[in-house]
Amino acid sequence: MVLHCYSHFLAHSLPKELKGNLIIFCADVASAMFIRATGRNLQIAYGQSLKFLDLVKLSEKSDILPSGDIAALVYLWNPFTIVACVGLSTSPVENLAIILSLYGACRRIAPLAAFGWVMATHLSLYPVILIIPMILLLGYGPDTPPRKLFLQRKYVEVGDTPSNDRCQQGEAVDQPELPYVFSWRPVIHFLFWTSLWLVYVLVLCGVSVKQYGGLWELFKRTYGFMLTVQDLSPNMGVLWYFFAEVFDFFRNFFLIVFHGNILFMILPLAIRLKHRPFFLAFVYIVISSMLKSYPSVGDSALYLGLLGLFVNELADMKFSFFLFCGYIGVSLLSPVMHNLWIWRGTGNANFYFATAMAYACLQIILVVESVSAMLNHDRKLRKLSATKVLDGKT
Amino acid sequence: MGESESENEAPKVKLRPIVRLGMFLISHSHLLSVVCCTAGVLTLLLLPLLAKNTYISENALMPGSANPMLSSQEVSEANGLVKDLTSLDLKRMASGIESQRLIAQYMSNLGAEVSFQKFYPQSNQFHPLHFFSSPDSATIRENISCSSYGLNTVGIIRAPRGDGKEAIVLVTPYNSEKIGLGEALSLGIAYSVFSLLTRVTWLAKDIIWVVADSKYGEYAAVDAWLRDYYIPVFSGLGIQNAEMCHGLEENTIRERNMRDGFKRAGTMAAALVIKVADRSEQFEDSLSIYAEASNGQMPNLDLINIVNYLAVHRQGLRIKVEKMWSLLNCKWLKILGEILESLGHLAKNLNPQWKFGIPAADYVEGTATLTSSLYYQALGIPTGPHGAFRDYQVDAVTLEISSRVSSNNKGRQNDFLLRGGRLIEGVIRSVNNLLEKFHQSFFLYLLTSPTSLYAHANNLDPSFEKNESNHPASAADELGITLRSWKWLYAAKKVLVVHLWGAVVLLLPYFICQIPNCTPTTSFVVWVLLSIFSLLILFWILGSPFSYVYASQPQQREWALLKSVTISAAFIGLCLMSVINFATAEIGALLMVPMCLMAHPLKLDVKSRKLRNFSRVACNLALGFIGFPPTAFLVFKGVFEGFDGISVGDFWNWLESIWAWSSATYLYIGMIHLPCWILCIHVILHPC
Repeated sequence: MVLHCYSHFLAHSLPKELKGNLIIFCADVASAMFIRATGRNLQIAYGQSLKFLDLVKLSEKSDILPSGDIAALVYLWNPFTIVACVGLSTSPVENLAIILSLYGACRRIAPLAAFGWVMATHLSLYPVILIIPMILLLGYGPDTPPRKLFLQRKYVEVGDTPSNDRCQQGEAVDQPELPYVFSWRPVIHFLFWTSLWLVYVLVLCGVSVKQYGGLWELFKRTYGFMLTVQDLSPNMGVLWYFFAEVFDFFRNFFLIVFHGNILFMILPLAIRLKHRPFFLAFVYIVISSMLKSYPSVGDSALYLGLLGLFVNELADMKFSFFLFCGYIGVSLLSPVMHNLWIWRGTGNANFYFATAMAYACLQIILVVESVSAMLNHDRKLRKLSATKVLDGKT
Repeated sequence: MGESESENEAPKVKLRPIVRLGMFLISHSHLLSVVCCTAGVLTLLLLPLLAKNTYISENALMPGSANPMLSSQEVSEANGLVKDLTSLDLKRMASGIESQRLIAQYMSNLGAEVSFQKFYPQSNQFHPLHFFSSPDSATIRENISCSSYGLNTVGIIRAPRGDGKEAIVLVTPYNSEKIGLGEALSLGIAYSVFSLLTRVTWLAKDIIWVVADSKYGEYAAVDAWLRDYYIPVFSGLGIQNAEMCHGLEENTIRERNMRDGFKRAGTMAAALVIKVADRSEQFEDSLSIYAEASNGQMPNLDLINIVNYLAVHRQGLRIKVEKMWSLLNCKWLKILGEILESLGHLAKNLNPQWKFGIPAADYVEGTATLTSSLYYQALGIPTGPHGAFRDYQVDAVTLEISSRVSSNNKGRQNDFLLRGGRLIEGVIRSVNNLLEKFHQSFFLYLLTSPTSLYAHANNLDPSFEKNESNHPASAADELGITLRSWKWLYAAKKVLVVHLWGAVVLLLPYFICQIPNCTPTTSFVVWVLLSIFSLLILFWILGSPFSYVYASQPQQREWALLKSVTISAAFIGLCLMSVINFATAEIGALLMVPMCLMAHPLKLDVKSRKLRNFSRVACNLALGFIGFPPTAFLVFKGVFEGFDGISVGDFWNWLESIWAWSSATYLYIGMIHLPCWILCIHVILHPC
């Protein structure tokens, strides 16, 4: 009888669990809210820089899309987000930490940014590389067109004779302080708060894991587990297959190569995209979610949501339709392949790995195309402002 | 549609060759897609020519290398069982338990462990995602009537040389209420092999003989046994139910003991379902092999190869594979076969190395087999009780042996039993040699004749030429922020809505089934009406508020966008289906690909009065007609079986059978084919 009741209870509780944990649900909603707020901020910054470059008319003619709203909706309605939420994955919480830190950096709230960054690093280690875009974000403020443009513009305005366009100059005088100076104050604040939070988290962790072998054991079991790719059960990434195949004596070498891959790209990207720190953060997130040891759909949910923030800049992105179809196709095919391999026995590991490779390729195309679209956008702005300047001179 | 698009790109600078090639292909996309489609269809027609001979890849199997040990002694014992069973049937005792007791008696006399397994027939339930779920025992049956249950008898021989970790399964389905001669003979064959195997010393795997009670269908019985075998129920529930129904008949203590424990052997290496057909053949003894499991999954090819090799080369049985009989008298197929034959001769004259010609009769036969293989795989319904094994990753085939004469001629019957028994013995001996799982690499194949197959590996349909509408390069010196490269979003939304509607249509039959006293025709009509209604509602809710957005945009390209999104949706869907059930994807592609590629607004075609456009209109209308699933079904049924007596109710019945077996084909029709058809019709009727 007891067993009977128990089985009934199980049957009833199962759908309840499927609905997702309340915390995870709340984390998702909060992430969407923060994305929206960040998007507003970025949009204002975008409008201001257009204004400064005297492209106001163009920006008014075809209105700027509300990127924050779009990004928040994309994040919430993305099937990947829903699956991660229903599957009770912890990635929504990690995503919330990352978004929190980016939001804090965008609004120049140093304690919040520091807290988010420390938590995100603590939870999943890979966001540690986000410290570079965050320092840039705090120092320079949100994304702007290249600084050279502003300098050029300023030079033109100063050198111009007053006989030119008066109203235009009047506008320029009203402008707030130009956003191309690096201010150290928030960065120092950020570093201070980071160390504070870091010490705090470490002390708390140390206290709680004291009886299990201390902090070192914690690092070994968590970060070590991520970095040495011990769990080779199939996932969406490509590392499990690779490390299942590789000879044992090469293992360490390839571990270094794969993780070095992420680190190699940090510096060049930071130099090229330093005027767009938020976009830089987005690129870092995509790259790390592509090359991390245990990727999940929650990671792609995050970067696809963030992609929505650049909807104005990436309007001319190439291959968007191809990417869309690819994402749909891969996300439908990979469960089927997994099923064929694991449950039906009519396929093998290569079937599933093929979809994992296709997925990785899609992510690569996404990164490459979005970066090139962003650079093209910058180029276009430069061209426009140059023609403006020439017009002004003649 | 590509011609007009490439006009606005005037290449001034010399482009790279690959780019020029790409532009050339895009500008001739129409021609290219026609060529590719024709090539795909031609390849399908050429398949019987391209089929390869099979071979046995696993060396350890060594079929037929040992002399058969089955002798007349076992056969005479088996004859005794057959006689007892038929006399029991003649007496009309009607109680199934008698025959089961008899079989159990025979089994335990051989020294096998005997157990009974009781099961209850399950009503057909709708599991749309059965493909993704592992088989489970979760169904807690609530209202079981104690009077109706089936009883499987299971005998197990422990291998003297094995560790008890592996087993080979023999299944003989029989109806306990009425035993025909064929069923008795199949029991006889299994019994003769079983009795031999209790004595042999080479056995390395346990032998399980399941006498499945086919009162409620062969599949159900085998499925119930497998479920209990693999997913033990640990709650007291099953026992309770079993106990409740006890006491109806008197039990001796011994039987009670047999019934209590569910006996198990190791994991199953292979399973053979033995049947003897009641109909008799005209010329010689023959053997039919059925291999299709649910969703067109086939067992490992080596298993079929062993059976085939042993039957042909050792026992002299004629192998038959299911054919589409009506195709055999097809005129145009014969003509095509003759053409191919003469082509083959011609090629041989030119170069004696080229040997691809086959006789016309063989070609027609191969095509008929191929069609039938394709159809049964595409249906996704298992063709026999072996299908239940596939769900547990066990390779299984059904062997249906039919004898030349059905007479009760004693000597003839003995010979028949001997041959059947030796065949089974040989197969078991081969499987017994196996050290690991079967590992021939062919999983997806179509049989064109028993000894040749066509593997799918290199046959992904070439007929998809995506004609992505390349977006005209707009003036770059303007900062107009309208989502230029994202303008396919609206079309994508429309396609998504239609696919959602497809899911709704799929769920409707579940509710229609609840209506009592409904003939198939009325249910079909109700279904169609409800579908149209839901489509209208969905468009009213989701379609209209957004339609303003693209109403303001230039509309002339809207249908092109819609078409390209539809094509990519069809592409993804067919790719997905080709992994799950290749045959379905193949047939679906035949219908859907030309339809999707051809779709062009009628209004534009009628406006420009040219012969080419009118032929396109005709093609569109014909393809749109044949692409609709019910009409496609009825037309094909009419072509193959004659047009008299066809009604729309047939389609409903057909669909219901697919639905009841939870085949992925059902999902394919609703989620991919129907939405794409609707979208194509939408493009054709587009007001541009």
